[in-house]
Amino acid sequence: MNHFINIFPFTAIIGQDDLKTALILNAVNPKTGGVLIRGEKGTAKSTAVRALSAVLPDMERHLGCAFACDPKKPSEWCPFCRRKDHAPVVVKTKIPVVTLPLSATEDRVAGGLDFNLAVQSGRRVLSPGLLADAHRGILYVDEVNLLDDHIVDIILDAAASGENTVEREGMAFVHPSRFILVGTMNPEEGEIRPQLLDRFGLCVDVSSEKDPDRRVNLMTARDDFDHDPSAFAIRHSLQTRELAERIVSARGLLPSVVFPGYLRTLVSELVMENNAAGHRADLVIEQAAKALSAFEGRKEVTVEDVRNVAGFALMHRKRDASPPPPPSSKNHEHDHSPHEPDTENPEENKDDRPEPQSQDSPSPQGQEEERKEQGSEHPAPEPDADGDRDQERNKVTDSLFDVGETFKVKKIAPPKDRVVRNGSGKRSRTRTAMKQGRYVKSGNGKDGHDIAFDATLRAAAPYQLSRKCGGEGQGLAVVLKNQDIREKIREKRMGNFLLFVVDGSGSMGARGRMTASKGAVMSLLLDAYQKRDKVALVTFRKDGAWVNLPPTSSVELAARLLSDMPVGGKTPLAAGLVKGFELVKNHLLREPDARPMMIVITDGRANVPLTGAKPLGEVLGIAEKIAGEPRLCSIVVDTESQGPVRFGLARKLADALSAACFRIDDLKAERLVEVVKRRREEYA
Amino acid sequence: MKKKQRYPFLAIEGQDDMKLALILNVINPGLSGVLIRGEKGTAKSTAVRALADILPEIVVVKDCPFQRNPDGSTAVCADCGKAACRDHVLAGGKPETLSRGVRVVDLPVGATEDRVVGTMDLEEALKKGEKRIEPGLLAAAHRGILYVDEVNLLDDHVVDVLLDSAAMGVNTIEREGISFSHPARFTLVGTMNPEEGELRPQLLDRFGLCVTVSGITDPEARVRIMERRIAFDEDPDGFAAEWKKPSADLADAIRQAMILYPSVTCPRPLLYDIAGYCLDVGVDGHRGDIIILKTARTLAAYNGRAEVTAGDVDRAAELVLPHRVRRQPLQDVVVDIKGVRQGKNMV
Repeated sequence: MNHFINIFPFTAIIGQDDLKTALILNAVNPKTGGVLIRGEKGTAKSTAVRALSAVLPDMERHLGCAFACDPKKPSEWCPFCRRKDHAPVVVKTKIPVVTLPLSATEDRVAGGLDFNLAVQSGRRVLSPGLLADAHRGILYVDEVNLLDDHIVDIILDAAASGENTVEREGMAFVHPSRFILVGTMNPEEGEIRPQLLDRFGLCVDVSSEKDPDRRVNLMTARDDFDHDPSAFAIRHSLQTRELAERIVSARGLLPSVVFPGYLRTLVSELVMENNAAGHRADLVIEQAAKALSAFEGRKEVTVEDVRNVAGFALMHRKRDASPPPPPSSKNHEHDHSPHEPDTENPEENKDDRPEPQSQDSPSPQGQEEERKEQGSEHPAPEPDADGDRDQERNKVTDSLFDVGETFKVKKIAPPKDRVVRNGSGKRSRTRTAMKQGRYVKSGNGKDGHDIAFDATLRAAAPYQLSRKCGGEGQGLAVVLKNQDIREKIREKRMGNFLLFVVDGSGSMGARGRMTASKGAVMSLLLDAYQKRDKVALVTFRKDGAWVNLPPTSSVELAARLLSDMPVGGKTPLAAGLVKGFELVKNHLLREPDARPMMIVITDGRANVPLTGAKPLGEVLGIAEKIAGEPRLCSIVVDTESQGPVRFGLARKLADALSAACFRIDDLKAERLVEVVKRRREEYA
Repeated sequence: MKKKQRYPFLAIEGQDDMKLALILNVINPGLSGVLIRGEKGTAKSTAVRALADILPEIVVVKDCPFQRNPDGSTAVCADCGKAACRDHVLAGGKPETLSRGVRVVDLPVGATEDRVVGTMDLEEALKKGEKRIEPGLLAAAHRGILYVDEVNLLDDHVVDVLLDSAAMGVNTIEREGISFSHPARFTLVGTMNPEEGELRPQLLDRFGLCVTVSGITDPEARVRIMERRIAFDEDPDGFAAEWKKPSADLADAIRQAMILYPSVTCPRPLLYDIAGYCLDVGVDGHRGDIIILKTARTLAAYNGRAEVTAGDVDRAAELVLPHRVRRQPLQDVVVDIKGVRQGKNMV
């Protein structure tokens, strides 16, 4: 598909049988509906897809037709093929594999005005986009989870209706666009939109080989290939041809493959068992099973075929039917590990270690993936083997608490995984943000700041002949007028700014509050890491507040600081709030569009005033002032333990801040994280 | 105009890992780059810029915006804006060629996407009404080194583009009315200060090697650094002349290693050793294995040996694995690979 790169032969890929099978099934039967390949980096995901084109069969099409019209389906022909005066010539070409790069703009995906033709003849003719190129072929998106929403919408539209409708730049045109969507993604980089996920018929998870022999074979194969790609390809050409022939014969056999009625019951049972959404899974399984049976040269689908392909079709569709079981009693036992903080701090011996967060409440979707990622995303509490720290602890009277158990940040799949803002709206307000972000489409300009030259030229192109006849232009080939100007509409992913204001006073040390709070903050930090948020940390204790961490993207630094944060002294809550608000205001000056979040973690027992006023009244007054900043969203986490005597001070603070308030117990149900996420989306 | 004199590569005191990693990448561009992590003022940028003096020469078509190899495909020429050269080549003529040093192309952190991937040539469009390509930095960096200072501060969407082309060595443009692709195989060299945030895992994995640099603590070495820097600032030309001979020797060694590299073999037991390394340490995917093998072979070639030794593999693992060890999201990059391996084995 591309003449610049030497493609690693499909048959030379070692292992990854699932991946290869899924791709072959699609090559045999396009109705299988594409495949999504998920997996860690460096597992031949992209290599396999790119290699696929070499084993794909030929298809018939009209010579010179840009829309890949099928000679056998005259009803779908494009206007050019339908013209009576020329009988189309039928040629055979390879099924196309079209790459959709992440930097693609709308006009190239859907199609736009043909600039050259418009200037020369003044006619508006569609220059077909990638969706036309991919018709009857494969549309391949590398890193599909990073694709811009605009582009995803177009693809979803075309995939759903089987045709691409172009209504832009004075053209109206519809052409069929049925393609096999193949995508690769690394789940570490973020999730994929659910609608798009469902469009993929099959899904395979790939991982690296664990067998040393195969790893060695793989290394030598790759080394051979890099040494002399063409010689390597020739060595594998026989196998490649065999596979290609097998696919061709399977395609021939496919129409006569029978899907026995009793298997339909099996399919629906399988689908029900996995509680898959919608009916697409049933259809996909049937088509894929047929393809598998045809590939193996059988005319009737067997139970084995269905079972073999069902995994691929259900992988990304299955959900948990019942709510997760309650945490087992074992989880509630106190974990008296050697580095228990209270054993080292006699004064804190009431300190209970909080219950470890339940790990056994998987989210409905993506459960499979979660299990896989648990190892990497679920850090245990920092081991306390640090000798220096112990020394330090003896020097000061402050106490240090371990980071409490973090909990898995639930992978909810919001419509937008990262906050995406339309660049056009904020352009007028901020000059600095004006030209940032990815150019996805163009619109009519207002102030002419960020001109989309391509769109401007296309807008002007059809009028060139008439304008030149009018004697304008003075030698330039293109005459531009004011009404032609189009502006770029940019999209930018924005991370949020999370400010943690943490109470470090002595009262926080009691009853494991600090440990649990640290656990909660750490969980939020993990989430922030994935979203590439900026974080900052303010603590207040003794008689002042400190900015421990100015706004930074280095979540690592925040995590380290957090685990080293001492506790002890009085509670200057007012100072903490003021310090936090200062940070927020500074951030807002720099990024007026930002929607920062302030997360105050305290028990609310303020006892050191900023001025001479009563501590509590002062705090509430300041909180009300802070609430006056509409761009700031606050959350209060009440660390006061449940008991007969409760002050409820944190709730008062939350009311004054007009913030949501949560008790420490709520944290354990993963709720804080969800709240933060939900509010973040609301504010976006 | 006289070119500004660069600080000689070899005059950089210490930082042997960094220098070695850079040299290995020069010998074998297949190692896919170096990531240099470290604090400010540790000669990161100086070293990368100084590379230009020891880089080998390549033959290119004169003034070709795509750094085309004269014997290579002419597929990119059709949309090229250089009318004279284009028409000449498309008519079957031989283009003028030029032998020049491998280039180091800077990718500034603030670069916009259209400058990176390329865009429509406005002048051609306005003057002639023709659609032509104005190539971006990726085209300029083909067959050379793409250097990103503060790579961790790069805009997310520019990173995506880099990933796209670094993966397959081709830059595909489907934007602004242009549909075009051209080869873009470059050695990615990035520097970063970890205090300002980490890299995305996917981009991290694209760097073949990773070295961590830190300030030198030996007082004598520090004094030497100061003296050399002052000598250079006072008389750049004289200073460079002093280092001319060692530089030429190094360039020579690199050339020899390049010739030797294809014939370097790796005994099979050592291949198992490499696989063992990656399995023990827990690396995502197979890129780690492949790069260790290549690095070990390059090391052997650099040392003038035709066979890889166990020492080469160990050294290669130290350079290749630090940033690939499957780590928890908020953990630091591992520095002591051997320690990790032993620790894992003991458990």
